[in-house]
Amino acid sequence: MSLRKTYQVPESLQARLDKVELDDKIVAAKAALLNDIKRSVYIYRVDCGGCNGCEIEIFATITPVFDAERFGIKNTPSPRHADILVYTGAMTRSMRLPALRAYEGAPDPKLVVSYGACGCTGGIFHDNYCVWGGTDQLLPVDVYIPGCPPSPAQTIYGFAIALGLLGQKLHETNIVEGADEHAPLLYENVPYRLRVEIEREARRMAGYRYSEKLVDRFMGALTAEGVDVFSSVDALIANEPDPRKVEIFSELKDVLVSKAAGGRL
Amino acid sequence: MLKTLRNILKTGDATVKYPFAPLHTWPDMRGKPEHDAVACIACGACAVACPPNAIQMQTDLKAGTTIWSIDYGRCIFCGRCEEVCPLSAISLESEFELAVMRKDDLIETCTYQLQACSECGEYFAPRKEVDYAVRLLSSMPGNPEVEEAAQLASVCPTCKRRRDAVAAKAADDAHAKAKGGEA
Repeated sequence: MSLRKTYQVPESLQARLDKVELDDKIVAAKAALLNDIKRSVYIYRVDCGGCNGCEIEIFATITPVFDAERFGIKNTPSPRHADILVYTGAMTRSMRLPALRAYEGAPDPKLVVSYGACGCTGGIFHDNYCVWGGTDQLLPVDVYIPGCPPSPAQTIYGFAIALGLLGQKLHETNIVEGADEHAPLLYENVPYRLRVEIEREARRMAGYRYSEKLVDRFMGALTAEGVDVFSSVDALIANEPDPRKVEIFSELKDVLVSKAAGGRL
Repeated sequence: MLKTLRNILKTGDATVKYPFAPLHTWPDMRGKPEHDAVACIACGACAVACPPNAIQMQTDLKAGTTIWSIDYGRCIFCGRCEEVCPLSAISLESEFELAVMRKDDLIETCTYQLQACSECGEYFAPRKEVDYAVRLLSSMPGNPEVEEAAQLASVCPTCKRRRDAVAAKAADDAHAKAKGGEA
């Protein structure tokens, strides 16, 4: 027996629930309600199989700093009181019925919010054996709030979209490569091998995020016009107040010096 | 009582004004990955690195295109794409307002042309990637190996292998002939 054998339930034995479809009456009622909403909305939260990061952010949203309750958004412990159902986590096989029960339990018209990367599409668990994908595999979703997890500000923005208070910013984009488009060369005036050595050393010292900025400044000093390369690098080091950056720039200068001494620019 | 009131006054209002005022964000925030379609060479390093496969490449050999796509609904904002990008064409910016009503709005695609092999005519790599390699190689003059690589940039790996085999056979034949002549 191979080690790769896994004991998952075969597809033929799994009940694939059909997606819930809204009838026209409910759609009309929902549109009418959203058009003229005059009261606070209550939220019920269903965790369908996430890592609990989304729950922590939802609770961060109702703390005084972001204070979702100032808009009347309130967390409720029962789906029967809920206007908005927030589904976090990927739609897993074992949570599909509880998810459906919560949906059926909430009175119409209700909004369904898919929360977090897992709720939207399955996120990092999208190809897991027990994951069906996002909430939209089972329920009609009104708003998708991506993020892993969404920050409290993202959450408030998502609820504002759900209630029609704000417009959405992100739209589907399809870009096509322009005719005869060229990718610009980075630091064209610096010899390629020297550039690579400097980038590697900076990355080793400062990691990818900060090394990029440090290399940018270093290359700026290297390619400064009208000044000697070494004196401009020395000036960069002398003017840097942060001792950590001074050390990194000094290391980069050592690379430059050794390259120049070897004549292998 | 007075002490409490004084503390309240001293602390002030802790609640942020968002969404009525823009939220204060920091430059190192890991928000939406912004893709620079012009700087991108469609090398696919980000698609390989992406842990949840939010970034994917789809190659269509018939049409001669490769489609880079990102699904913001699947992105976990880890920044691995930014780390591996050789041209800094993708970086996580401070944009965070990503919620949408339609799922398709979370998807961004970018279509790139493929380079056809100059010998057999098969598509083998993104055109921009080959173009970038040639320009990079031509910035290092004086090295015969580099010059040869630049010349063969638009030849596909299969044809390169065939050329090598043909050259090796020719050299072998010449060697055998020379040996036969000696004998």
